[in-house]
Amino acid sequence: MAVREIRVYPDPCLKQVCDAAEPGTEETRQLVEDLIDTMYEAGHSVGVAAPQIGVCKRVAVVDVSHSKLGQKHNHGLLVLINPEILERSGSKTMREGCMSVPDYTGNVERAREIVVQFTDRSGQDQVIRSKGFEAVAIQHELDHLDGFLFLDRVDNKSEIFKRKQ
Amino acid sequence: MHFYAVTIIGRDRPGIVSETARILFELGCNVADSSSTILGGQFAMILIVSHPDMAQAAPLEQAFSNIEQQGLSVFVRTLKPGGEKRPELPGEICMISVYGSDKPGIIYRVTRLLSERQINIIDLHTKLIGSEKRPVYVMVCETVLPPDLTTEDVRNLLDSVKQELQVDITVRNVTPVEL
Repeated sequence: MAVREIRVYPDPCLKQVCDAAEPGTEETRQLVEDLIDTMYEAGHSVGVAAPQIGVCKRVAVVDVSHSKLGQKHNHGLLVLINPEILERSGSKTMREGCMSVPDYTGNVERAREIVVQFTDRSGQDQVIRSKGFEAVAIQHELDHLDGFLFLDRVDNKSEIFKRKQ
Repeated sequence: MHFYAVTIIGRDRPGIVSETARILFELGCNVADSSSTILGGQFAMILIVSHPDMAQAAPLEQAFSNIEQQGLSVFVRTLKPGGEKRPELPGEICMISVYGSDKPGIIYRVTRLLSERQINIIDLHTKLIGSEKRPVYVMVCETVLPPDLTTEDVRNLLDSVKQELQVDITVRNVTPVEL
């Protein structure tokens, strides 16, 4: 159990394509625990990806169930090992912020509904359909695994906003 | 560090930005925040620039005198210490869209109501669209609400002008999500 420090851009870790993780190993189990601890410790956070704590592996955790926006549709705590988005539909724009890009937010358009395949904490293969805020959070975290930040996705008409303090 | 706000406006053509950037670069100025857009046929730039030891605006004004001769208007405002820092803006962020047949008083009536309730406008764009015969006025306004107001309150507040001006108004919360 460990809360890890969140890496902040321009940390090179945040701009790399991560390697596949090996489910079932002690290393992956530890990584998942650290991600969960780090996410809940941050309080307001609804997701953390491995590169945000300096580990270049394809693992992320998401939990929007405690957020007002995620009340309606959520799968509780999601541990996503080697996740892949199989389907996307619709679109939804939200003004996103990220712990790795402090102080700024930007409008990002993402799919409203997605189908994701991943390996869960116990090593089981899973496929879920997610929509709304949870789907946006998953897409944001999965972007981290490919070295993308929300800054790479900001629609060109909108500005980068200084976050309200 | 000394801060200045530079406003440049003139008939749009290619090269205004690069010419401005060249002048600032050669003076040793840094460009911090800036925003530029085309309004009507005019290109308008507003830049916050800084310089480590230029304590007077005169060298800036002088450097820009050349492009003023090319038909651009340049205005330099000297910022007081701290004037480059944005004040803290707590509160929900609320986007207000107003649109309808063009008539006098749309901006005034809407913003007067906002200002009476201490609602702070942080971004505002207006545009005249539609045809010449049937012009449509569009106003998009981003605001920060004082702590005692909600998006719903703003919606109710604007209902009266909606009726009176015969315009459509949508109000929505755009407070950022932390991911």
